[in-house]
Amino acid sequence: MTTFLALAISGLVFGCVYALTASGLVVTYVTSGIFNFAHGAIGMVAAFTFWQLHIAWGWPAPVAFLVVLLVLAPLLGAVVERILVRPLYGAPIGVTLVATLGLLVTLLGLAFLVWPPDTTRVLPRFFAGHTVTVFSLVIDWNQLLVIAAAVTVAVSLRLFFSRSRLGIAMRAVVDDPELAALAGTKPERVSQLSWAMGSSLAALAGILLAPLVTLNVTDLTLLVINGYAAAMIGRLRNLPATVGGALLIGFLNQQAVGYAPPWFNDYVSPAIPMILLFLAVLFIKGERLRAGSLQGLRMPRPPSLQRSLLSGAAFVLVAGVVGSQLSPANLAIGGQGMVLGVVMLSLVLLSGYGGQVSLCQLTFAGLGAYAMAKAGGGLGGLALAALLPAAAGALVAVTVVRLRGLFLALATLAFAQAMDKIFFLHALGSGSSLEVPRPSLPGIDLQDDRVFFAFLAAVFALAAVGVLALRRRAFGRRLIALNDSPAASATMGVSATSTRLVVMALSAAIAGVGGALLGGLHGSISNNDFLLLNSCVLLLLATLGGLFSPTGAFLAAMSYALFPKFQELFPDLGQVQFLFTGLGVLALGRNRYGIGGQLADAGEKLRALRVSRVREVARAAG
Amino acid sequence: MLQVDRVEVRFGGVQALKGVTLDVPEGAVVGLIGPNGAGKTTLFNVITGLERPSAGRVLLSGEDVTGLAPHLRARKGLGRTFQRIEVFSSLTVHENVLAAAEARRSWSRDDADPGRTASDLLERVGLLEIEHERVDRLPTGLLRLVEVARALASQPRLLLLDEPGSGLDTTESEALGDLLVELVADGSRSILLVEHDVELVMRVSSHLHVLDFGAIIASGAPEQVQQDPAVQAAYLGTSAA
Repeated sequence: MTTFLALAISGLVFGCVYALTASGLVVTYVTSGIFNFAHGAIGMVAAFTFWQLHIAWGWPAPVAFLVVLLVLAPLLGAVVERILVRPLYGAPIGVTLVATLGLLVTLLGLAFLVWPPDTTRVLPRFFAGHTVTVFSLVIDWNQLLVIAAAVTVAVSLRLFFSRSRLGIAMRAVVDDPELAALAGTKPERVSQLSWAMGSSLAALAGILLAPLVTLNVTDLTLLVINGYAAAMIGRLRNLPATVGGALLIGFLNQQAVGYAPPWFNDYVSPAIPMILLFLAVLFIKGERLRAGSLQGLRMPRPPSLQRSLLSGAAFVLVAGVVGSQLSPANLAIGGQGMVLGVVMLSLVLLSGYGGQVSLCQLTFAGLGAYAMAKAGGGLGGLALAALLPAAAGALVAVTVVRLRGLFLALATLAFAQAMDKIFFLHALGSGSSLEVPRPSLPGIDLQDDRVFFAFLAAVFALAAVGVLALRRRAFGRRLIALNDSPAASATMGVSATSTRLVVMALSAAIAGVGGALLGGLHGSISNNDFLLLNSCVLLLLATLGGLFSPTGAFLAAMSYALFPKFQELFPDLGQVQFLFTGLGVLALGRNRYGIGGQLADAGEKLRALRVSRVREVARAAG
Repeated sequence: MLQVDRVEVRFGGVQALKGVTLDVPEGAVVGLIGPNGAGKTTLFNVITGLERPSAGRVLLSGEDVTGLAPHLRARKGLGRTFQRIEVFSSLTVHENVLAAAEARRSWSRDDADPGRTASDLLERVGLLEIEHERVDRLPTGLLRLVEVARALASQPRLLLLDEPGSGLDTTESEALGDLLVELVADGSRSILLVEHDVELVMRVSSHLHVLDFGAIIASGAPEQVQQDPAVQAAYLGTSAA
């Protein structure tokens, strides 16, 4: 009984923290209509800022606490709303998702830069040493503080939304921004306020969570992300249900520690919030097919088969020549770019053509590498490396088939994070690694690094030609049709379910092959290779490169592979992949065609110019 | 061909359709007219399955399809165009129609060459010359014709057209009228036509229904409906005569 109560108390404490973060998320989402993926990162940055003020600079805790909570965090939220979010109102989910993910990654990068992970930082518990005893149960003041904070926030939010002018105005904006504007409310101001409030609540959650765990940039961010599940249980609009969901998550998580068998705690417990997130998303009412959802994106025309074959052959040739000149270190970087390029191609198919967001492409890559390792290499291993992720992809697709946009993104996020905890951590071993053999071809020595590099270039070229061929064929047209207008596709007899299933499985298979070759390139993989946050970076880079073209995928993959090189040049910049990608997205994120799209566009213009000039010349001559 | 049986739709407190009943016989063009907001598009959405009615049934060739998903109804021979254009904006004119022809090949036993079908249909609606243009560069009137060709590519037995004539000039609208008459001439196909161009509706329809505030207020032969005082009051006014 004492164990139960003690765990119930610590569950309540975690539940309260989740309730705070989830409430913040709900407040911003209902008011501005934009789901803030960076919410977790804001909580993390706030906790580090608090550490900076309180521990590093010695400010008294209450002062530092209030400064972060009431000044810095709201300011950050308001500035983010003004600069990043406001231009995005009414934009399709793909755009807002990339923007807030970009913010998430930028904040991670900044945190790594300001607080390098090589020093250990500890936030002591508030009121350390003070406890109260209730029925032989020892509760420390820190726990009481968390509970008190959550109750205060819940009551204030309730009063704010039901009693205050501003709160009522906020609800009016949610119901009908135009009508509210007519009645004299400024929707932008109200939305800005909601972002300030959301940011402040994320900060509160981050600061209260930090003393309970270790102060670590990624761990803290992901912990705050656990609160997303609670927000989903509240269907992103119902605050009481959100709080209830948060308490449930905290309760289940802590009771499992005491009562579940060891294997459960090893494998499943850490993933409970993500499993709940996945389930909660599944119960979201499916978006109905609606007419009038025209996308209006201009995709570059795919090149002809002949042209793409020629480009592919030229690519392999150039890669072979360049590869023969590279130093071993640079050869590894180039090879990394090639295999990541293959993974990026899976996103071109899924997100570029199919318009489906996925935050779990590296999870599929990891499954591919795992299958390759277990199969012991060979071409059969490579086939298995495609099949296992394809099966997983199909399974995910079947479960989430009704979901699109934001909810699909959240479901894939939950899947990726749960797989990290349940599968990769154990199958690949934390700290240790799994050996992955290279495939073998008769008569070709793929153990030789230069030969393997050329092989990787050939695989990338083949995959690119294949993806382009799909785009030109009936399946590609069906995919694009489904993305451009789901309603019109349905009236042509196209089954969205089977099409989405096939494309998800295909895309997972491509990512799996990429993953298997990544393992072959380095000889082994570890559980750190396929993390959710890296999948986010991958998606963002692919978007920057241009989701509609293999050229964009290649550029994006190469820049990802080159990050370690940049890191050598700027060792002080922290984790450059986060900072560079994030800043790139914030700068260019509104351009939906990416760099690859720009290149294709420029090419088309050039060709048009040439044609018109030829015509002019012909006219002059004739 | 199509029977709509006492269909009701509610959006919150608003009743968008109040017990609408109508028939579309085989081989006929049936016109559906009514002021903006009368519920015409909602009725189309109910028939094609994009909207679930709160009561009533939709029967296609005698079979109750009320619970069927939109894409399965399409496979039973139901095609439509949209009032708010729903073309595939990343594809060319030809590809838009081709996608529909390919979809048909994948779910039917018909193995006609989809490329051929698409070009034939585009010739029929007069868009063959611009078949390789991207649709996002075309004016609305032509996009409606792209939608008509695309809907025909599924070879529907019942075609629902939602204001196909808006955005067309007089000559184009006349050509469209000719096409509609031609399409039902062999008796294998029926059309339910929503159209504001009264002249066009009067010319091609053999039967007319008038929808106002979610209810059918008049039905009958075009001339007869035109004389109906309730209709004149609600919609046609005096200028239509």
